[in-house]
Amino acid sequence: MSETAIPALASTARTTRTIAHGTLVPRLLAGLTIALAWEIVVRAFAPAYVAKPTTVLTAIPRVVVDPAFLDATAITLTAVAEGLAAALVAGTAIGLMMGRSLVIERILRHYINGFYAMPMIIVLPLFSLWFGYSGAARIATIIFAAIFSIIVNVADGARSVPREYLEVARSFRSTPMRVMTDIVLPAATPYLLAGFRLAAGRALIGAVVSEFFLSVGGLGYFILYNSRSYHHNEAFVGVLLLAAFGVGFEVLVQEATRRFMPWYRRDEKS
Amino acid sequence: MNSTIRRHAPFWLSLAAGIASWEIVGRNTSQAFMVPFSETVLRLWQLVRSGDFLTQLLDSAQLFMTGFVIAVAIGAPLGLLLARVRTLRVGVEPYIMILYATPMVALIPFILSIMGFGFAPKVLVVFLFAVFPVLYNTIEGARSIRPELIEVARSFRSREWALWREVMLPYTLPFIMTGVRQAIGRALVGMVAAEFFLSSTGLGQLIMGASQNFDTGGVFASIFVIGLIGVGLMRVGLMIEHHFARWRQ
Repeated sequence: MSETAIPALASTARTTRTIAHGTLVPRLLAGLTIALAWEIVVRAFAPAYVAKPTTVLTAIPRVVVDPAFLDATAITLTAVAEGLAAALVAGTAIGLMMGRSLVIERILRHYINGFYAMPMIIVLPLFSLWFGYSGAARIATIIFAAIFSIIVNVADGARSVPREYLEVARSFRSTPMRVMTDIVLPAATPYLLAGFRLAAGRALIGAVVSEFFLSVGGLGYFILYNSRSYHHNEAFVGVLLLAAFGVGFEVLVQEATRRFMPWYRRDEKS
Repeated sequence: MNSTIRRHAPFWLSLAAGIASWEIVGRNTSQAFMVPFSETVLRLWQLVRSGDFLTQLLDSAQLFMTGFVIAVAIGAPLGLLLARVRTLRVGVEPYIMILYATPMVALIPFILSIMGFGFAPKVLVVFLFAVFPVLYNTIEGARSIRPELIEVARSFRSREWALWREVMLPYTLPFIMTGVRQAIGRALVGMVAAEFFLSSTGLGQLIMGASQNFDTGGVFASIFVIGLIGVGLMRVGLMIEHHFARWRQ
């Protein structure tokens, strides 16, 4: 049902191995080819303001010291972090309850799956009505974008706790609360991380989209504003930073899973 | 008989409870913020009867299908090709990974200012949202083909085309379908994003128009419908995926 799983786990292991086999050369070559093709196409067919590798590169040192850019980045990252933290806490709590209680699961399941399948950005007009064109609407969008993948994955994890663990806990007369915090939650952590990885990507999209829609300051708005005023190179630096965040989250969660849960493998099921 | 009732009862009960609480909350809050379920359905019925809804729905469907079909038609063969030509794959793979993780929405302002307001830029947005899951999953699938299979095919002197048709495609199809399922969800987001931020058409325009006119009932009705479409498409995607997952080990 869910987009659980950590499909790239095995491939990281593979990549680290293959770097030793000298794959750096094809990678660099491919990168150069892509950049060159981009440069030539833009120079030949596109107006001068369109971003191309050389001009983006020269824009980078200018943009990264621009206070407007730094502020925008800080604002967006703060909003994403706040929204993710809220979604993580609430999503884990709801997911644990759904995973361990059949009644709660049956009541909530269809709503959670329904909201999860919804294209998240359609709530923007509604949130702008509820919260105004403000940072509050952005946080709400980020939470909405992030929470359901956490709930769905944590519920999956809580459901698949080995029964023997629970039986042992019961025979030692653990309280339900202790069982939840000491057995179910740790057992569900790999699922939690998989859900968090998805949530982080969705939260980033939610932040950018809500800044486009609400015109509140941030990295998304920085990109929108600069590309509207034909500063495509500056705007593209913002896109590069977003890409770096996207990749950074992925790598971080993968590394965390590999280091702290090396026994956890669910490669092929996504 | 009894067991099917017992199995489905919680679903209907929770549905009824959800609608009831929506109705109660809706009746007790300001009309500007929330409308009850009954009024949402009524507004939806008005939209359907005026014909607005159907034209917008078809408009959106056309955009969705065009972008999605192009994404699959390019993503899957390209993925197979990359899996087959090792040097190419090794070279290009990191860039595909990066693009897969990049929030594609960030490219919309560029597409708008370079390509303008037509149909093509919107298709491009849907395509960009949908193509990377297909590409990524196809590569992942194709490179998990056991080398012996290809070696056996080769030692029977199968030609490249036969190798693709008899070994690679059947082996990779379940993985491609996982990509297709993910792409359906992403293409839907791309569709709404394109309709919001490029020229306003389709279901996106329906919501935007309602929201600008403070027609909360219209906003709820449109979100309700797009939500149902999302759930329906997700179901379809899962069915396709499960159908092809049967021979996946």
